[in-house]
This record gives sequence, C-alpha cells and structure tokens, in this order.
Amino acid sequence: MKASVRLVIVGVALAAVLGLTVPAGVFGAEEIKIGVIYPLTGGAAASGRELRAGAELAAEIANNVMADLSMTMAKNSGIKAMGGAKIKLVFKDHEGNPTLGADLAKKLILDDKVHGILGCYHSSVTKTVSAVCEQYGVPMINGSSTSPDLTMRGFKWFWRTTPHDKWFTKDLFEFLKGLTEGKVKGVQAVPKKDIEAVAAACENTEWGSLVTEMIKLFAGEYDFNLRKTLLYADKATDLSSEVRSMKAARPDVMLFASYTSDAILMVKTLKAEKASPKIIWGQNAGFETPEFRNTLGDDIVGILTRTVFLPQVVEVKKIAGQVNQMYKAKTGNDLSGASARSFTGLQAWVHVLEKAGSTKPADIQKAANAIEIPGDELVVPWAGVKFSTTGDELGQNILGSGLIGQYQKAKDGKVVLEIVYPFDVVTADMIYPFQAW
Amino acid sequence: MDILFGSLAAGILLGMVIALVALGLTIIFGVMDIVNFAHGEFLMVGMYTGLLTAQATGMDPLLTLPVAGVVGFLLGVICYAGFIKFLIRGPMVAQLLGTFGLMLFLRNLALLIFGSSDRTVHHGILVGKSFEIGMGIILPATKLAAAGLSVIAFLAVWLLMNRTKIGKALTATALNAQAARYMGIPTEKMNALAWGIGGASVTVAGALIVNFWAVNPFMGLLFTMIAFAVVALGGFGSVPGAFFAGLAVGLIMEIPGFWDFFTYTFDWMWMADVPMTSLKYMWIYVAYFVIMVVRPRGLFGWKH
Repeated sequence: MKASVRLVIVGVALAAVLGLTVPAGVFGAEEIKIGVIYPLTGGAAASGRELRAGAELAAEIANNVMADLSMTMAKNSGIKAMGGAKIKLVFKDHEGNPTLGADLAKKLILDDKVHGILGCYHSSVTKTVSAVCEQYGVPMINGSSTSPDLTMRGFKWFWRTTPHDKWFTKDLFEFLKGLTEGKVKGVQAVPKKDIEAVAAACENTEWGSLVTEMIKLFAGEYDFNLRKTLLYADKATDLSSEVRSMKAARPDVMLFASYTSDAILMVKTLKAEKASPKIIWGQNAGFETPEFRNTLGDDIVGILTRTVFLPQVVEVKKIAGQVNQMYKAKTGNDLSGASARSFTGLQAWVHVLEKAGSTKPADIQKAANAIEIPGDELVVPWAGVKFSTTGDELGQNILGSGLIGQYQKAKDGKVVLEIVYPFDVVTADMIYPFQAW
Repeated sequence: MDILFGSLAAGILLGMVIALVALGLTIIFGVMDIVNFAHGEFLMVGMYTGLLTAQATGMDPLLTLPVAGVVGFLLGVICYAGFIKFLIRGPMVAQLLGTFGLMLFLRNLALLIFGSSDRTVHHGILVGKSFEIGMGIILPATKLAAAGLSVIAFLAVWLLMNRTKIGKALTATALNAQAARYMGIPTEKMNALAWGIGGASVTVAGALIVNFWAVNPFMGLLFTMIAFAVVALGGFGSVPGAFFAGLAVGLIMEIPGFWDFFTYTFDWMWMADVPMTSLKYMWIYVAYFVIMVVRPRGLFGWKH
C-alpha cells in the first residue's frame, strides 16, 4: 500500500506534465504566399472561423476583378504591380497556444517560404509569432490583436491595422463619463456615485492581463473606484467562485475581457449567481461572436461590448454593405469585428504588395511604412490605414477608432448590437440600468 | 455575512458534486487496489454522453442520466474485461501506466471524434435557473440537482456495500481476494462489477455536471487530480471518506470566497488585490500534500 501511494504521487506528477497536438500542412505554387495563423480550433475556434472567412473573402476580391466595388484591390486581378500575381493564403491553426504559434511561424517561413504573415488574434500568440518574424526579417501584419504592448517593442517587421485596448478602454471611461454628464442618448445624467464602483474579470493570457492594466490606469485617471480585479483561466470549466468574488465587491459596473467559450460561461454564471450590476461591458472578442449571441439569446440584452464593427455600419457605409452581402452569401453570418478586421488586415497586405511591387522583404517594409488607405475603401468605420513610423509606437495604424455597442431586442425579436458610443453615431437609446435576470 | 453564507453554501454544493465525481474512483480502488488514471476521462465520456443524447433526441439533459449510467457501466466492465484483467497480473507499475495509457487513449479518441472545442448544454429544465433563499445564499438548480443525486448515490453505494450480499462479496474480494475465491465468491465478476459501478457513478456525475460546466477532451485531467485529492484525503477505498473529503475539498475551493468575506467585512482593501481566485485549485493540492505527509491513509482510510 505504501508503495502504491508513492506510485500514485509519481503518477499524478506524470499526469501534470502532459500535452499534445499537431495540425496539417499546405502546399502552394508560384503565387504570393501569405501565411495566416489563426485559432481554428480550441476555445476561440468560433472567432477563428470568422477570421478565416474574412481573410479568404479579401483574397478573393484581390484575386478577381469586381467592378462594382469601389476598392483599389477590387479593380485588378491579383497584384497588378507584380504582373497580376495571385495572393495565396496558407492557413495554420495555433489553438490559442503561443509556443505552437511560434513553431508554425517558423514552419511557414522556412518550409512554406511565405512572403509575409497575417495573424494571430490572441495577443499572446501574435507576440511570439511577431518575434519569430522579426528574427527572420519577414513582414507581418496584424489585424485583430489589441494588446497595446505589441507595437511598443520597436519591431521593424510588424504592423497593426486595428486600434488597441488602450484606445478602447479609454473609450469606455469616456462613455461612463458621458453617462454622468447626460450625453448618452435615452438616459438622463446618472450621478457619479451610482456607477462609481467598478470590478473587472479578465482572462489570464497576455491580452486579458493588459486589459486589466488599462482598466486600472483609466479607472484612476477618470476617478472611478476599482473595487476588484481578477484574472481567470480562459479554459476554465467553472467560473462561479470568480463571479461570487466579483459580486462580493458590490460593483456598479462589471468589466470583462473574455474569449468565446469563457464569455458564454461567464454570462451564464452571472445569471445563475444572480449578479445585478448596473452596467456589464465586454472588451469585444468573445462578447461579440455569433456564438455568444446565438447561445445566450435574450439573456444578453443590455450588455455592452466595445467593438470595431457593427452591422449598423453597413447602413452608413456603402462599401461595408457590399462586402457584408458577399460575406453573408459565403458564411450565412453578417460581418463581425473579427471578420471585418481580418478582411482589413489582408486588404492592407494587398495595398502594401501593390506599392512594393516585389516580394523582397526590404521593399515590403518600405511600402508598409508608406501606404495610406483612405477610409472610404474600408469596411470598418475608420478614417483609414496609415502606420506610425516614429515615436513610442511603431507600425500602429493611427487612423483607427472604436465603437461601443449594446445588445438590444429589435422589433422582429432578434437580439442586435446598437451603437451607443461615440455619441455622434448612436443608433438607439441606451438601456440603463442593466435589467437583472 | 452574505458573502460568508454564500460561499459556505456554494462550497458545500460544489463539494457534493466533487464527492460524486470521486465516488467511482474510490470504489474501484477499494475493491481492486487499482488506481484508475482514466477516471477523469470516464467523467468526460459521461459528459459527452449526456450532451449528445440530449442534443440528438431533444430531451432534457437530466433525462439522459440513465443512458449515461448504462454507458458508464458498460465502459467500466469492458475496460475491466478487455484490459485491466490482464494488467493486474503484472506489477504495480504496469497497472499505473496501463490506466495512464487508457487515459491518453480516451482523451485522444474524444479529440478525434469531437474536436477540441468546448461544448455546453444551453437548454434544459434546470439550466440557468437558481433559487435565492436569503442571506446571500444562491443555489443554482443544476448544482442542487447534482448535489441531491450525490447524496442518493452515496447512500445507495453505502447500502450496497454494507447491507447486501453483493456488497459483502465485494468487501470480501477487497480484503482478501484469494480467501474470497475459496469461499466461492466469483471474484472476477466482483471486480468487473466494481468497475461497472465505478464507471456508472462517474458517468452519471458527468451527465449532471454537463448541465453547468463545459466539456472538452482535455477536461478529464483536472477532475482526475481533484478526485485523487478527494480520495487521498478521505482514505483510499472509503466510501464515507470520499463524501466528507469531497465536502472538504468543495470548501477548500471556496477559500477565495472566505477571503472576500474578510476583505469586505473589515474593508481591508489590500486583500482585494491578492489574486485568490487564480489560486483556487492550489489549496486542494496543498491539502493533498499535507495529508500525504501527515496521514497517508487518509481521514477515513481502513485498508492495510
């Protein structure tokens, strides 16, 4: 028996040291090969599917002439400056694992000989992959990772089209401030003390940890009382102690940074534990996936999420409407923040290649630092794409901006996101306070 | 005080669920001295069974419990007859590595069939409902049902072990297999039965748990570890031990809640900055370690 107990201990140790995986490879011909590394399986697989579809649609438009789209990349078949060379996407699945991502990047660069990389969604993976790209001098464009750190490392081979969490988090506190000043449509000025207590729960990888830092920073700056911050594992099967811990802090405002499955679990747990804050806000990602909406249905009415794209954008931007139609025909879903930004990321790649006129890394680097895509060519509601080349942040698009949406019930009974911030493009009255379950 | 009572209630509820998960492990160990490393994977099989049966037939996940029970019983018996029976002739290490291999096999089989995505039950009579009974105590209906079933399952197993001939035969097999054989007890059958009951109890637990936790092919390990801690705490092979140790582990997992109680009752805000929820599983292994050092046979251990 003593021996068996000892063996149990050894066995438990063995079990703790366990892992696995390995996905498939792809071949290509003489096209311009862009390696695309996204989370195609795992907790963020739902977002991964959208990211993939967004990039594929952009490649399709770039590789064919689509006269009715007023986009530069739709006017030519392939890259005109390179004799109509076609874009070929080589997809890899990082499963949300930074180490795997770095390995895949090496494989793409050394085995598949890609000319550039697009990816990776999870900031933690983007971080390791961009480090590999930097090491090999291979250009990488990132369309959807929002950890502020990524563009503050002085990398010369990394460019990011999306605005990042520092901007988004500031947007949130601007919004809360607006709420106290009566600027929010449909809500009378709320006394500051009613929404002063804040608690935040973020997933514990790179992205969530940094969102926590940003929340701490701006809560101080805007004079809110941050009662509790906690990090949780995004693969958690149970979040009830986290939710109870947040509840214990009696916050008026609950903030989250979650990926898909944990966002769903979080909201279910909030409901089960009867949490009743006045405002629930998600830092997009999981909070705006179709799964989140389809799974939770009416339970999410009133929840806010920051986002970079809403179907309502389609009504004000013709190009977004056209692309959305194509995307819907392809996938059955409307464009989302994930797919629209992935689309825009690849669109930036096309512009860079067109300007570079070659696949030489040095030419691509020069071109990327010089391109400027006007806002009216983009599906996202930004002023354009232009990368910073000086200052603290290198390679960051300086023309991006964010939105805050709120889930509301439309007349037809569907749950849709309405824009409540910025205050000048609002599409509906805000529901305040959040109606407890 | 709301926080304290809320955490106590949540801890007890969670503890009962965890005890149910550990029950099968302790039965199998009690009868056969075999440590089943694939225990968490059995739980996963139960979760997938409940989930898929509910989705395929459109019935409430709760009604899938008998299906999960049958699947678990068969799984246990098949594992025993096709695999374990041969392993127990070998040395202890072979048994350990054998069930370890079974764990890898089941996990990767699930990965192959279901993919690595999380899956959850979204609809059901109890899903998403909870009762608030005052003093900060909130009882989610799904966990309440699981806790109730846990009590029933423990009573049933306890009665089976202590009040029936089969139970006596199982105990006899556990105490001295050779002597039991001389007395005419079919020890092979008893072993298979132990695996069947062990398998069924854990898959039923899985089918209940899937009502409130997500399932993916990798989740077995965490529960194997927790079940080990419970069984070690309660004493290997002890049925009542598993129950009370389960409660203890449930309360241990609520340490962050008790921490919050002190934080906000006395307004010691520095305590709010300690990442207690991130460390919630750590205390279980601390307890496991302490019990291994101080009292290796566990609180209720009775063998050897």
